[in-house]
Amino acid sequence: MLAQQLLNGFVVGGVYALFALGFTLVFGIQRVLNLAHGAIFMSGAFIAYYTVAAGGPLWLGLALAVIGSGLISVLVEIVCFRRLRRSGDEEFGGIISSIGASLVIMTIAQRISDTQVLRFPFETFPVIIWRFWGLRVSALQLFMLALALALVVVLGWFIYRTAFGRQVRAVTQNERAAMLMGINPVRIHMQTFFLSGALAGAAGVLVGLAFSSIRYTMGEPFLMYGFVIIILGGLGSIPGALLASFLFGMGQTMLTAYMPSAISGLNEAFIFAALFLLLLFRPHGLMGREAAGALRGRR
Amino acid sequence: MLRLRNVSRHIGGIRAVDDVSLDIPPGRITGLIGPNGAGKTTIVNLITGMMPLTAGSIHLGGTDITRAPAHRICRAGLARTFQNMRLMADETVIDNVMIGFHRHDRCALPAALLNLPSARRMTATLRRRAAAMIAEFGMERFAGFPAGGLSYGHQRRVEIMRALASDPAFLLLDEPIAGMNDVEADALAAIFRRLAAEGRGILLIEHDMRFVASLCDHVHVLDGGRLIAGGRPAEVLRDPAVIAAYLGG
Amino acid sequence: MGQWIIAYTPLVDLFLLHLGFAYAQYIVLRAGVFSLATAGLAGIGAYTAGVLAVKLGAHPALGVAAATLAGSGAALVLSLPLARLRGVYQAIATVAFVQIVYSVNLWAEPVTGGAMGLNNIPRTAGTGVLAVAALGTLYLVWAMERTRLGRAFNAIRQDEAMAATLGVDIVRHQALAFALSGAIAGLFGALEAYHAYALDPGQFAFPFLIAILSYVILGGRNSVAGPLIGTAILIILPELARPLAENRMLIYGVMLILVINFLPRGIADSLILAWRARRLARPEPAAGEP
Repeated sequence: MLAQQLLNGFVVGGVYALFALGFTLVFGIQRVLNLAHGAIFMSGAFIAYYTVAAGGPLWLGLALAVIGSGLISVLVEIVCFRRLRRSGDEEFGGIISSIGASLVIMTIAQRISDTQVLRFPFETFPVIIWRFWGLRVSALQLFMLALALALVVVLGWFIYRTAFGRQVRAVTQNERAAMLMGINPVRIHMQTFFLSGALAGAAGVLVGLAFSSIRYTMGEPFLMYGFVIIILGGLGSIPGALLASFLFGMGQTMLTAYMPSAISGLNEAFIFAALFLLLLFRPHGLMGREAAGALRGRR
Repeated sequence: MLRLRNVSRHIGGIRAVDDVSLDIPPGRITGLIGPNGAGKTTIVNLITGMMPLTAGSIHLGGTDITRAPAHRICRAGLARTFQNMRLMADETVIDNVMIGFHRHDRCALPAALLNLPSARRMTATLRRRAAAMIAEFGMERFAGFPAGGLSYGHQRRVEIMRALASDPAFLLLDEPIAGMNDVEADALAAIFRRLAAEGRGILLIEHDMRFVASLCDHVHVLDGGRLIAGGRPAEVLRDPAVIAAYLGG
Repeated sequence: MGQWIIAYTPLVDLFLLHLGFAYAQYIVLRAGVFSLATAGLAGIGAYTAGVLAVKLGAHPALGVAAATLAGSGAALVLSLPLARLRGVYQAIATVAFVQIVYSVNLWAEPVTGGAMGLNNIPRTAGTGVLAVAALGTLYLVWAMERTRLGRAFNAIRQDEAMAATLGVDIVRHQALAFALSGAIAGLFGALEAYHAYALDPGQFAFPFLIAILSYVILGGRNSVAGPLIGTAILIILPELARPLAENRMLIYGVMLILVINFLPRGIADSLILAWRARRLARPEPAAGEP
């Protein structure tokens, strides 16, 4: 039972990782939170659903979702952040602006879906369940885990092994110095947003498949969990976000499974109270290097 | 006396300020010079509570202010100006100076919340005092101007007025004449002498050797976070170690 | 005239209520705290008043007083941890707070009615009461601006380090701003409860937070007129035409993006600055030249 829950939590953690990596990547490079990330995640599920509903195969839906969400994310960067970056008011302004983008994307999705809950047709993904060592594993779960890990590896390769990644890391550390080295930060920002959105879009498709409910508001809880994860991992830290995603996925699954029913309604409250405590006592998370949330001098 | 003892500040592996002991007496202008990156501004930040010390202690008169928060240090009688001026750009000169009076801006909380007569009187008094100070600095003409639109020299003066408004016993001036012409600088020098004559202790951080030599009784030289020389300006400027630091630095 | 008043009473009431919430949000932003907690504080106030009225049959005056206290108390407690955080982290922590209030409201069904909400709250707050509360709040905010508090808030918002070296106790001022914000949010939460017959937890969740924030961003967050203008525009706009009402969230979204990018100070503050610049009209070489 415990092992089963841990396994389920691990799979969910993989999806969280797809969501949170993009979230934290954008923070790392821009020092700004993209609050439209939840809506971008939702757009991935929508794109895949409508592709399948129109008779397309799932793999096409997934591919279109990854590309489409990436492009929406780039659009958010252009519309919401580019101007603010120049004026230097991205911390406050970026949050407001991306809340705006989130509202716009969600309203459009609401219109398209007519406020309905959408479901992938039965057997869009074959229902196969294996049992071993007393554990149940579905093909979907394996697929989710495999896709999540594959994309994480691809992201890691991009960031740590390519010229693009070196440039991203240079811009993260010091944008002006990076510009002097001949790096075009505008291109880097767009590419980062694309990656971030593409990963979120993939996460959206997986969540749509697994929980079989696609709704225009489905990004909101993920955005909130995303906060917890990227703070736990240390804002801007990619390995931190990865670790935190799996910890959070398993922790949440355990909470749901083992919390006495009288107070299980408070699970969400506990999660956010934990976030609060985390912010207080370890604002740089597990792996964040700088204490970006730390004290202002010794007031 | 403002007294620094073995003050250090290490950031990562770098010793931005290393074992600095310094006395700033009242009624005098003490100079602190050194090449760029020597740690001069860091010392001011350490004294005014804007960053924590790694080691050492700072005393203001009989009070230990080593770990005091910045606003307490101000109330203990210490004020500063900033090298990269920090004015409220959209606000008028008089409003900028008025915030400097915060230490004397007293009235009961209910009166402040509801702007009762006592609070209004306080505001009027401070406005008058700010206006008087602006006049003293020859800037009446600009009292109603947004500070951000003023010339460099005028902005520096607003910063000095704001610092003086708290009536500090000690004043730390971080490159106060940077970007000024000689006439403006001489006018400020006269003001600094007067402030010292009133009994205030001044720490003057400057690049301009001539200016420092003309004003200070005592000059300290900082290089690589350490004090390398100290004494009368004329002696210090002849010190081979100082010359080497400047030419090599 | 009489008919006009009757027809527009609901709109006026809505405006007055939201004006109060807007000022609750304004005060914290004004003091340099990036808090989005107003929704949660309003929820605490509304439920305090609602529960007192429905479960205990308490007098509305008692309910209002309790809600105001509860709001400011919660805000004061919240301000302690927030003082240790900066910008983005404050925003996240306060959004978490809103979520906590929401989840607890949902869970505590025996008291709060859970997802069904609280019903049959006696309606005791009419337009007159709302107007008095709104005017009182307006006076408080306007008055405070002119005293040491306004001056200190200004300095903190623009440059914390500078403010601290000038002797401003940032933690205390932000805690005060928070407590005031909580009191106002709690008060208007209570008025909302006594005005609307019913409460449901979703009322004080994310959409509420966004609406309140939008009023202040659009109107301006550094002058008293800001929230007034912002709230008026965003409350009246949907009434002008049906499509505007149906696309309320879309309009808020587009508005937030446009305003923060092209009119970052909001309407009131931009007007004030433009007016001041015109009045000065640059005499002599004075400004600018070295």
